[in-house]
Amino acid sequence: MSFKKFDQQTFIIDTANAYTNRQISKRDFLRKMGTAGIGFSAFGLGMLGNPRGLRQGSMLGTQAYAEGLPDDQAKWLKEVGSKFKGAKIRYSTEATPPSVVLNQIKKEFTDPTGIEVEVEIVPLEQVLAKATQDVQGQLGSYDLYYLDQSWISQFQPDCIDPVAYYKDKPELAMPNFDWDDFSKPLVDNIAKVDGKWMGIPFDIPIFTLMYRKDILEKHKIAVPTTYEEFLAAAKLITEAEKASGVFGTGLQAKSGHYSLECDWSQAVWGHGGSIFNKDKKFSGNDPQGIAGLKWYQELLKYAPPNSTASTWDGQFEMMHSGQVALVQSWDEFFPGLDADDSKVRGLWEPAKPLTAKVLRPASEAGFDEQPNLGHQGGSCISLSKYSKNREAAWIFMQWGCCKEIMTRCTLIGGFAPMRNSSFADPRVKAKAKVGAGTTRHLDTVKWIIDNAMATEPHMPLWAGFSTNEIPTELGKLLTGQEYNGDPKKCMDVLAAQIDAKVKDAGLL
Amino acid sequence: MVSQHLRALAVDAPAPRRRRAWPQFLTSEHPFPWLAPITAVIVAFGVYPLLYALWLSFFKRNPVTRINVFYPTWNWGKLLTDDRVWGAIGHTYLYTIIALVIELGLGLAIALLLDSDRKGYGLLRALMTLPLVVPPAVTGMMFLLMLDGSFGVLSMGLVSLGLWSPAHPILASSGSALAGVLLADIWQWTPFMVLIMLAGLRALPKEPFEAAAIDGATATQAFIRLTLPMLSKIIAIAVLIRGVDLFRIYDYVKVMTDSGPGTATETLTSYAGTIYFKNADFPYASTISLFTLFLVIVTSSIFIKLFKVQF
Amino acid sequence: MQESFLQKRLRDVAAVLVVSLFMFPLFWWALTSFKPTSAIFDKDGIVWFNFKPTLVNYAVTMLGKSRAELAIDSGNTFGVGGASSYDSRQTIIDSLIVAVGSTAFTLLLAVFAAYALSRMRFRWRQAYLNWILSQRFMPPIAIIVPVVFMFHYLSLGDTRLGLVIVDTLINLPIAVLLMKSFYDDVPVDVDEAAMIDGATRLQIFWCVVLPMVKGGAAATAVLCFIFSWTEFLLSLFLTNSIRTLPVKITTFVTSTGSEWGFIAALGTTAVIPSFIFILLVQKQLVRGLTLGSLKE
Repeated sequence: MSFKKFDQQTFIIDTANAYTNRQISKRDFLRKMGTAGIGFSAFGLGMLGNPRGLRQGSMLGTQAYAEGLPDDQAKWLKEVGSKFKGAKIRYSTEATPPSVVLNQIKKEFTDPTGIEVEVEIVPLEQVLAKATQDVQGQLGSYDLYYLDQSWISQFQPDCIDPVAYYKDKPELAMPNFDWDDFSKPLVDNIAKVDGKWMGIPFDIPIFTLMYRKDILEKHKIAVPTTYEEFLAAAKLITEAEKASGVFGTGLQAKSGHYSLECDWSQAVWGHGGSIFNKDKKFSGNDPQGIAGLKWYQELLKYAPPNSTASTWDGQFEMMHSGQVALVQSWDEFFPGLDADDSKVRGLWEPAKPLTAKVLRPASEAGFDEQPNLGHQGGSCISLSKYSKNREAAWIFMQWGCCKEIMTRCTLIGGFAPMRNSSFADPRVKAKAKVGAGTTRHLDTVKWIIDNAMATEPHMPLWAGFSTNEIPTELGKLLTGQEYNGDPKKCMDVLAAQIDAKVKDAGLL
Repeated sequence: MVSQHLRALAVDAPAPRRRRAWPQFLTSEHPFPWLAPITAVIVAFGVYPLLYALWLSFFKRNPVTRINVFYPTWNWGKLLTDDRVWGAIGHTYLYTIIALVIELGLGLAIALLLDSDRKGYGLLRALMTLPLVVPPAVTGMMFLLMLDGSFGVLSMGLVSLGLWSPAHPILASSGSALAGVLLADIWQWTPFMVLIMLAGLRALPKEPFEAAAIDGATATQAFIRLTLPMLSKIIAIAVLIRGVDLFRIYDYVKVMTDSGPGTATETLTSYAGTIYFKNADFPYASTISLFTLFLVIVTSSIFIKLFKVQF
Repeated sequence: MQESFLQKRLRDVAAVLVVSLFMFPLFWWALTSFKPTSAIFDKDGIVWFNFKPTLVNYAVTMLGKSRAELAIDSGNTFGVGGASSYDSRQTIIDSLIVAVGSTAFTLLLAVFAAYALSRMRFRWRQAYLNWILSQRFMPPIAIIVPVVFMFHYLSLGDTRLGLVIVDTLINLPIAVLLMKSFYDDVPVDVDEAAMIDGATRLQIFWCVVLPMVKGGAAATAVLCFIFSWTEFLLSLFLTNSIRTLPVKITTFVTSTGSEWGFIAALGTTAVIPSFIFILLVQKQLVRGLTLGSLKE
């Protein structure tokens, strides 16, 4: 199920347990339930005699886990923020955990500052479409953009450099924001284009290996560490478990969707290839690229047939319902697998991504592409040049990305944080056990971010290529519509298309 | 004012020439004031955007600088050589024709079935209109769930009946994806045809049928020789309206398959959508849409002339 | 033609079977709205009835409850907290406002225009009619970009008024052609009789003819309402904070799974207003669907 359940679940369970074990009084129990947004109004809370009021947050889980913003930041928020009281800022985002959590706790921002925040949560394709429309006409309908890393090159001209802005406007700067705390690889690959900042890293779904330890034990398979081992293991499991309908692996191979492009590019990188070579030509059709594609085609045989109609949420469903045993995909899935009503609770384990025999060095790849082991799908949050409420939006952006709030988001959702301090925070480490909102995969994720993060090329046409041309042709190949299963034909066609467009745009 | 007219008209003589208070085209006798508001709305929000889209189609977009350069033949030339466009045209026509034939046939058959005054048939006819009021985007999601390769009730049903292999999920196999999308459309719009046919059937005069019965004609003969010809005018209009809508189909394809697998279900409007939203190439997307409009106008004009449709 | 007893029974059975077949998806959909997720996605088989029915999906979408509240109530512990972005009450209200608004506006424009087209003969009448019909041929995609920019400059972007205008534009062709056919049904003698009695054109229209086409106007209203209620593409791109129903439903797809339970609940609820409308004006509806060519 969606990650959203864990936050509330965990808090309620913990509190209920505490009450049952007589660790807290009935009054405390009711008060905590109240802060979780259940039944009681603020007035009622007041009646129950909550002396601290709701300063420290009125939403889920926060009272149990939160320590509130540090005093200097809270003071800044109130003083500087309330200058813009009454402003309304808006941003459009995909329903990834950090955004959803921010949407839930935004009241903590609105209360001291009086700035209203409206978060429009839509599927990823719509986010791109609406952002594109907005910048085309410089409409300013959004104050902040949520930009997937594959689009940042395209939108860079429309965003304000946050670090420069921070320096230029000290009167609006949040004290102790600590820019250096952000994980450097994330900054370089999600928030910078051509060495210039254009946003603040916001979320980092990244490929990691995940496996069902019970199924692997049952068939006495060791956790695969190479692409060949993975294929062999998937094959074994699928054949052995034919009767019970369990498959070795599940893929997000939906035709024409970005998810297929992600799977494909990882396969290519893992076989020593890259998407563009250093001459800025498409190189998915060179021997390494073909080897990767062939591997993927082979893998598809051992995945549920529905893979070619599934994006990441279909893949998650396969994992969650117990249909598959081994997956190399987004780490964001992990907390959801441990949810309370999950059939597979506690059965999935994280592992480092598969290793490649040889990786193509970044110097051999074009457009700042970084072939590596863990495909990242991170996003940043950016301030729009066309925003009509620039200062108010800037204040919200700083608040949303400050240490405390980002750590809190991780606590609530169990997903990988952007800041090194969040990784090290004791509250986060405390949740590294099986259960909703678990953080037990975060050590693996941090390792991947620091050592094995792979990034797609950054160029203005990439958003289109990765969501249209590439997954469409791949889809034709994988579903048998064209090319007769011949990967070279498919890649050659794609190369022709892409090279022509790149040349035409004058980027060669 | 009324009495003035009265005096003028009551005498059966040509009315004296009055000096008009308003110029003629503003009086309520002239169509102008009646049509002006609606014409204004259509021109402002229908014609102007269309002209803008046409103007846009003559520009070539530079994705790096985002500036559009005047280059009239770029997009139109691209259109004619783009394989996907021709594939889309094929799919669009295929989809339209198959859907029309099935919806018409089924619609007529079901109308004949439900055309009875017995008890309960009224309720059956009312229930039959339900599919029409579901938003197409919702219908798409409904069928997406039901046709899901692993968990869908329809897929599982077909598999357990041995009619379908689980290795080829319906919406993910290029051969059957179009059929899956068609299923949603047929479910939603056959009731439309049913309603129309029903009305047509109910308006048929009884005499010819009674005469035919006396002459000893069978039910089938009466149907072919009498019913069909008398319904032809209605059928023609229904086909025109439904056909135009089918040609512009977007919701089902977008929600269920997103033009996939590969491009097996890509129609003209869904391709325009892809170019618009994913590649942000607005001029080219405009070109494709205008081309679609052009095809619709041509095809329907041919149809109207051929079948002498009147409205 | 007289039917034998057997034929009658066969027909009854067939009729019920066919209608049931068409009702099945709706039934399944409504059933899904009461299922917890584990019953929706069971890989081992179709879950018909052996699941614990839950009202969670409706409570979250219709009553804006957070799952946490219900968790405490029911003793289950699945939860989502805080302001539920699945709360769809505002969405239903917005969709209703836009649909009713555009229906009213469309009718207003159409009744006048259609009267003129029916009663007055002028040279370019047929051409004008063709032009109006051709508006229906336009794929909405073609006009998105210009309309978005236009609305932005007119400050109509993200407003209900903007949506009303767009929906009206799309409904006008059908409304005009339809109303015209209803007016055509009213014999011109009525007009002439009133004219002899001394009424002006406007009075004839307002006091005499219009009341006679009330039924037709009702049918037109229903069609306009249905269209506006179900419109997706333009509503998606012309609004940010205002969500109409079809758009809202597509936002239930998240990066970690689509919330099918909520989709089903909202979808089932979406059917109700339109259906009520249809029941009220069933007879005239058919007339509407055939552009009035059918004299009933």
